[in-house]
Amino acid sequence: MEEKQLTGEESFKLINRMIHEAKGYFYESGLGGIIYGISIFICCVLSWLVESNTMSFPFHPLFLLTPVFFIQAWVQYREEKKKKAKTFTDEVIDYVWTGYFLSVFAALCGNFINAGYIIITIVLLLTAFASFITGMITKFRYHIICGLVCMLIAIVSFFVQSASIYLLMAVTALIVWLVPGLILRARFKKLYHN
Amino acid sequence: MFKDLDPILHSQLRLAVMSLLISVKQAEFTFLKEKTNSTAGNLSVQIQKLKEAGYIEVIKEFKDNYPNTTCKITAKGIKAFEEYVKSLQQYLQVKK
Repeated sequence: MEEKQLTGEESFKLINRMIHEAKGYFYESGLGGIIYGISIFICCVLSWLVESNTMSFPFHPLFLLTPVFFIQAWVQYREEKKKKAKTFTDEVIDYVWTGYFLSVFAALCGNFINAGYIIITIVLLLTAFASFITGMITKFRYHIICGLVCMLIAIVSFFVQSASIYLLMAVTALIVWLVPGLILRARFKKLYHN
Repeated sequence: MFKDLDPILHSQLRLAVMSLLISVKQAEFTFLKEKTNSTAGNLSVQIQKLKEAGYIEVIKEFKDNYPNTTCKITAKGIKAFEEYVKSLQQYLQVKK
């Protein structure tokens, strides 16, 4: 960029172009979504098999998500370091999902009073909410539709207060994490590996 | 005609840097260089001028054993940028 005296119009054009460039910055490999999607799907299917007495497991399969959470946090940390710029959108989405995970953790405390499968319904509602908000902020239509579909799944789950509720959670994991993760991964590869 | 415009901002590269920084929370030097299509030397000089004016904050740290410079707009910088845009709007209205 050469240094030159700008006219009013040129200044406005430059400001618009740079703001557009900055807002269009994207660095999201989709790895986090893929890791979460696959692991939550597997854990939910295992939970369904265990609770419908089809197989036995030494502990509740959902506990397997604890190490996954730390692995994902590490992946996220590595990705944050690779980002050349942090946008306000990134920051707001981080807050939304941090709030989501804290709320899920709070909902899981319902296990102490044996609240039962209703906890999964609460988790489904929270997931729908987080996905919908993410879609609205990023203008990513898939997430908006996905949030609405999850809300329907959450409503259905009120009537499925049995082991089968884990299958609803497994489907949710696929549509909220795995599919967008794969979409983002494909977009990331196209942008940074071509 | 442009004497009311902030001379610090009324320069192509500095204005480009400020426009980028107003849109993000923070940005690395390489990001600014890539988006403004400028040379490292020229960009460093302009960043230093913006820093001296108190419009941006420059954070120098190590990232994976390499020096890394991150820039962030300050409250003073936001105010100056807003005033610059307002002045531009007034100027363009008068011109019409």
